[in-house]
Amino acid sequence: MPLIKNTFHRPASSSPDPAAALTSVSPDERWAAARAAGDDPVNLAALAQVLARESDTRVREAIFTALARIATPESALAVLPYLRSDDANIRTGALDALRAMPEAVKAHLSQALADADADVRLLACDLIRNIRDEDAPRWLCEFLEIEHVANVCAAAVDVLAEIGDVQALPTLWRCAARFPNDPFLAFAIKVAADRLRANAPGSRV
Amino acid sequence: MAERKLRILIVDDASLVRHYYRQILEAKCFEVEEAMNGLEALEKLLVNAPDMLIVDVNMPQMDGITFLRTLRRQALPQSSIPALVISTEAGAQDIAAARAGGANFYLVKPLGWDVLTQYAAMFCGLPA
Repeated sequence: MPLIKNTFHRPASSSPDPAAALTSVSPDERWAAARAAGDDPVNLAALAQVLARESDTRVREAIFTALARIATPESALAVLPYLRSDDANIRTGALDALRAMPEAVKAHLSQALADADADVRLLACDLIRNIRDEDAPRWLCEFLEIEHVANVCAAAVDVLAEIGDVQALPTLWRCAARFPNDPFLAFAIKVAADRLRANAPGSRV
Repeated sequence: MAERKLRILIVDDASLVRHYYRQILEAKCFEVEEAMNGLEALEKLLVNAPDMLIVDVNMPQMDGITFLRTLRRQALPQSSIPALVISTEAGAQDIAAARAGGANFYLVKPLGWDVLTQYAAMFCGLPA
């Protein structure tokens, strides 16, 4: 038993209503409330609402983490718009959260891959890396056939090299042919093709 | 005594990008180290400071701008290592954010061999 009575002010982690505490004026209370809010999907709407106006980096990270813990298609949808933030720190927080909920992200992938913003499409390619789905290589191949920005193609090729197989090779060659003057994409496609061939059953390592 | 090779730390989460830069820079006799994000880069800097940094913006765990801001607050000589930011982000606000964070120069991907070697030489104080 402690000799001195603990008079330290406990933040709102023990609060019965984390959703209400998310709007506290105290960043410490908002942080604790965000951490607690991730325990219950019922707090999703409140988390999404405060995320839009939260300016404290630590609280924002806790909100992203809470949304990732809830891990539903709705919580992924709440995070996705932050991929287009001007603030790299916010983009990173959003991307980390989305990476942590691959199954929830799956429902929105086709939309993200068709986004008008090339940066969102590029980050969406990266999200496929963590999705365990046998169709994932096919999604990337279909995407590569139509994507018109070389940088975005390079991101897709990078992921395809990890999760694809030799069936992706014709897509890679067609992509290379569409961007004959891009040295990095040519390099990326060559490395990816070598890797896919090396990983093919029966190939010598 | 053998001359020390100039060292460049590449900070980028994309393995293909790191591989691409490494191939170009090693062909020009630079020594190359890699980090997958800003946090890993900060750890590597504690052990051995490079002559130059090549930094991406969008990376997991710690993005390039946060990394540079943290680096520039550290003690000399680490805080003065020249940093070239290379990113797919081409907006004026991205370039301004990188400069404010401590980038010495900003280039937009994709990059050809000649451009990368030219900037690496310039940042390391080699004749063009």
